[in-house]
Amino acid sequence: MSYSDKVIDHYNNPRNVGSMDKSSADVGTGLVGAPECGDVMKLQIKVNRETNVIEEAKFKTFGCGSAIASSSLATEWVKGKTVDEALTIKNMDIVKELSLPPVKIHCSVLAEDAIRAAIGDWKKKQEATKPVAVEAR
Amino acid sequence: MAQPLTMIGAKPAPQETQSCWSCGTMRAVHFCEACGKVQPPAPVDYFAFFGLPRKLNLDAAALEKDFYQLSRKLHPDLNSQAGTQEQEWSLQQSSLLNDAHRILKDPIKRTQYLVKLEGVELEEQSKTATEQARSSGEAKKQIVPPDLLEEVFELNVQLEELRMQKKIGEDDPALIEEIGRQKLELEGKRDALLHELQGHWKMWDGMIQREQNGQPVSEEERKYLRDKMVDVLNRRNYIRNLVRDVSEVLEN
Repeated sequence: MSYSDKVIDHYNNPRNVGSMDKSSADVGTGLVGAPECGDVMKLQIKVNRETNVIEEAKFKTFGCGSAIASSSLATEWVKGKTVDEALTIKNMDIVKELSLPPVKIHCSVLAEDAIRAAIGDWKKKQEATKPVAVEAR
Repeated sequence: MAQPLTMIGAKPAPQETQSCWSCGTMRAVHFCEACGKVQPPAPVDYFAFFGLPRKLNLDAAALEKDFYQLSRKLHPDLNSQAGTQEQEWSLQQSSLLNDAHRILKDPIKRTQYLVKLEGVELEEQSKTATEQARSSGEAKKQIVPPDLLEEVFELNVQLEELRMQKKIGEDDPALIEEIGRQKLELEGKRDALLHELQGHWKMWDGMIQREQNGQPVSEEERKYLRDKMVDVLNRRNYIRNLVRDVSEVLEN
């Protein structure tokens, strides 16, 4: 099996590798794993409270080239989107963009999971920090 | 091969009772008991191919013996005098025999294969759970416990640090010691998982035995034991990778 040029590009020059302060109220963290291969992926987003736009995204993935490329691409895609827009990203979009073969589809699933988990974590924090505003709506 | 020879999700295959294409006697799965002619491959699972019940503890020596006996009888070279059709079947049967042997002789592969026969597509679990989360809008339930993921992630961070240090020719003895300690812990976990799995094999085999004795086995019990094994297999993949990576970093 050979990797597509796009996978190799993301693998050699991964975008947005790193981490942000997990305890910050504006940061959502998603840590997910793929039991099929034992890969783990952490994806973090920093969201603007006023606009709900994802201003920053960071990732760290321990896994194969496809998993790294999928998460790298995911951080690129979520940046600048609102959280609701980011939730529309589907694993098959990543498969198409990176031309992943069927045996590597679970890597794209992992990236979608990571986005959802990060947004879920952020939403939970918002509810916890702004209980009055949520009730008033 | 033109058609899949394993019937996924099927109930345990009944004894093959078709008659021999050549002499008409009731035949076995691979070749006719009466006239010895090779038969067309029957759609049976690997357990049934060896005439075994779907039990997870199996007699490894008996499996090897059967394998070599069947290999000889089904070998395409030994059937070179036979007709073209029979030769073709012998080729297909040989290939099926090799696949069945490779899977059944390895206890983990055997377990993975069994849960697949029992309806769990290990490769599809994540995707299915994600699709559910997507349509319900709820958080996806991670297949392994979150604290295992934390642990895997943290250890990988340490391993990466150690790799970097080694690259620039520096070793932090404290870090090496810490990773060495974790390696022992992981090996302990790996052994404990195998032990856990062996316990499930015993339960499963007991259930199959009751079924063979004609006692009713509930669908719930079957699924419960199956899912217990799936759970161990999933956690095992992470631990297996970690043991491999930790050993690699420490040895280099």
